[in-house]
Amino acid sequence: MEIEDNFGNLVEVEMGKEVYEGILLPSPKVGTFLLKLENGYDIGFNKKDVLKLRVLKKVTEGKKESALRPSGDKLDVAMIITGGTIAARLNPQKGGVDWLTSPDMLFRFYPEFFKNVNVKKVEVPFMKASEDMDYKDWQKIAKVTADLLNDPSINGIIITHGTDFLHYTSAALSFFLGNVNKPVVLTYSQRSVDRGSSDANLNLQASALAAISEIAEVMLVGHATTDDDFCYAMPGTKVRKLHTSRRDAFKVVNAEPYARIFSDKIQSLSHYHIRNKNKVEADTKFEEKVALVQVYPGQDPNVLDYYLNEGYKGIVLELSGLGHAPTSRARKGWTKKLAEVQKKGLIVCAAPQTIYGRLDPFVYTNGRELLETGMIYLEDMLPETAYVKLGWVLGHKEWASSKDKIKEKMLENFAGEINKRLIE
Amino acid sequence: MVNYDEIGFKAGLEIHQQLDTHKLFCECPSVLRTDEPARIIKRRLHVVAGESGEIDEAAKFQAGGGKDYLYQAYDTTCLVEIDEEPPHEINKEALKVALEIALLMNCKIFPLSQIMRKTIVNGSVTSGFQRTVTIARDGFIETAEGKVGIDSIYLEEDSARPMGKNDQEVVYRLDRLGIPLVEISTRPDLKSPSHVKEAALKIGDILRSTKVRRGIGTIRQDLNVSIKGSNRVEIKGFQDPRIMEKCLELEVERQRSFTEKGKKNPAEVRNALPDGETEFLRPMPGAARMYPETDLPLLEISRDFINEVKKNLPKLKSEIEEELKNHGLSDEMVKMILKSGKLEDYKELYEVYGNPLLISKLLITFPKELARKNGKSVERVEKVISKDTLAFMLESVYREKIQEKDVKVVLEKVFSGVPVKEAVKLDKKDFADVEEKIMNLMKDKPGLSPNAYMGLIMREFKGSITGEEAMGIIRKFLK
Repeated sequence: MEIEDNFGNLVEVEMGKEVYEGILLPSPKVGTFLLKLENGYDIGFNKKDVLKLRVLKKVTEGKKESALRPSGDKLDVAMIITGGTIAARLNPQKGGVDWLTSPDMLFRFYPEFFKNVNVKKVEVPFMKASEDMDYKDWQKIAKVTADLLNDPSINGIIITHGTDFLHYTSAALSFFLGNVNKPVVLTYSQRSVDRGSSDANLNLQASALAAISEIAEVMLVGHATTDDDFCYAMPGTKVRKLHTSRRDAFKVVNAEPYARIFSDKIQSLSHYHIRNKNKVEADTKFEEKVALVQVYPGQDPNVLDYYLNEGYKGIVLELSGLGHAPTSRARKGWTKKLAEVQKKGLIVCAAPQTIYGRLDPFVYTNGRELLETGMIYLEDMLPETAYVKLGWVLGHKEWASSKDKIKEKMLENFAGEINKRLIE
Repeated sequence: MVNYDEIGFKAGLEIHQQLDTHKLFCECPSVLRTDEPARIIKRRLHVVAGESGEIDEAAKFQAGGGKDYLYQAYDTTCLVEIDEEPPHEINKEALKVALEIALLMNCKIFPLSQIMRKTIVNGSVTSGFQRTVTIARDGFIETAEGKVGIDSIYLEEDSARPMGKNDQEVVYRLDRLGIPLVEISTRPDLKSPSHVKEAALKIGDILRSTKVRRGIGTIRQDLNVSIKGSNRVEIKGFQDPRIMEKCLELEVERQRSFTEKGKKNPAEVRNALPDGETEFLRPMPGAARMYPETDLPLLEISRDFINEVKKNLPKLKSEIEEELKNHGLSDEMVKMILKSGKLEDYKELYEVYGNPLLISKLLITFPKELARKNGKSVERVEKVISKDTLAFMLESVYREKIQEKDVKVVLEKVFSGVPVKEAVKLDKKDFADVEEKIMNLMKDKPGLSPNAYMGLIMREFKGSITGEEAMGIIRKFLK
């Protein structure tokens, strides 16, 4: 088609009596196209209204010289780019998205990121929005990360990632990588990179400092408040996205940040492991047949049959309050069904749907009744972290063979996912 | 005298007018604040390459170079203004007003247009860009020297108000950010400084017939000016439109000082000073600073919507004056209705109840009188006596529950705190009865002096009527 072939070109379009001149662009609306007028504005037209199209000037793509120069007095880090807003840039000339997959491209948008570090290696295992990821993607990232952690020339690793499911990935890497020897920093942006106000600017600067710091943990680094002031380094298993759009969407839940990071300095805030020379091995076993289900008023307990019949091995229930689901006193009680599915082999764990706080089944009669069914209460573990951990634990055949072993592993503190002392 | 025709004088106006609606991309009210902010938000901006990969000259110049921007937020601003929530759908009312303006200026409407981001990195917009959309083109207005072409009409969001700065920080107030602005740019058809003035007044007249904000700072006029052989210069920041003519004369002189030496003045944006001189502000912005607002769908303006707006196009001030005079209102009253901004209320009540004289008194005369009598401001009176109250009273007159002459008494009762439904049930001591009683009393004792009647009346009605009112009634019957 004539129109599609000329995207990016300067054209003259004749439509009835009207003649327009501009750069031809694709439109998000079916059956239409856009023209960028001389004043920079884009206006739309129906394709079928075009009588004549004349190309005035063909687009030429200029090669841009890289302004990026490695420097000897900066420390080397590695980057893993996985997609998301932080690495996406709209290409209005071609339509769709350009991925920023090289340090050169990143440099054009975030020159300040390179103030303190050299990006020595870049790995791009895939480019995806985080809502399109699953455990197989976590496994890929973990393997790439482990290799880089064992590379003595790399001081730390920065992983850029979409925000939606970022906290699942951070939990997964925490379990898969175990005790890391260097900083593993996950970061993101909530505002697209094209705008002068993008939060990625500070997030990346803080991530660069985190990556060359002494903090040997899997951490998420991002805005601490709405101000472009400082970021928090947040524990990978104790962090959750709690806002759809704000810069400080990620909050540490039931724990404290490791550090406060400004664009030029780090202040430690709580305990973390120190950089070391241990070898890291990725343990990425994962049982896919696990589920995360929120319990709501009046919910039919027979939904559990679905999971059982579909061959699920385990399920994390997000329970109300201190750890409750409708009991035998409810119109649709869950007690009997819970006991039944667990007897048939389904592992049922409990996490708080309140997000904040710890479960305690002993306080109320209802809790004690549900506890009797054999559910595993996961203390203050975040439901998303619990889901990832259950998949990881059940992925280990040597643990999954006995319910007692599973319970022991689910309550073992591998990566700070359980906090015995809540102070807020 | 300069012969402007001979030197190839070309000027175009660029007028920015705030609309009197809520904000363009969120539901916040368009109110400017004078009190202390609820909180301060601290941000930084960095310059990024545009869609073509180039950094805009103007953007590069503006960039703060590592400055902190402090934004004053209020309970009348939300997450959208602080760039923490995507823009909401475009304000339909603002779009309607913009279409009215476009149609009144005989423009062609774009049925499909993309809302754009115009890169601005001086901190005056929290996002780093201003949202703007072109909605119409190719219109004209009539002037004494012929038609002046309207090139384009844009609908865009206003920026935050600068409140102060030092080497490290710039402070902005977020109240103005997001207020809808209509930008009108004329063709370079203006032939002389006086022609520019005439066109500016004409455009102002059209704007004021629609729902626009009034008062200082709600309209901003910029000028584009060039002569034969010169580069176009944009002049911004006229504090007083009366300075425009002088400023143009001086700018022409300045450009001529280049062309006479065979040189060209730089294409740039200049700032108007109070004495009519100008100073360099920044380089001329290019198309490189424009890219699409991907958080919003394309703006579609349907035939139906245009037709609906066309059907209800507002009238110009001169036409409205004529119409009100035809209702039987005095010139003075017509002026007061227009000046007080009560035209919409008047029209609404007139359509339902007719009775233009009583409506104009209810809207203009009585509130003033009540305010004076009680030592309160008219605003305070109008706060208590709402449009609904007035409508209820007109309804009561229409249904003959009260008489027209009682309306003022009822208003007074409402202002003193009596619910309007109670207030219209007049008791014996109320004004209407008072008038009747005074009349009877005067009939019973004919031939007394006004002061004698006064004494009798004041004894009879003890405090439920003022001396002034009593005297008014006495005089009425003694005539």
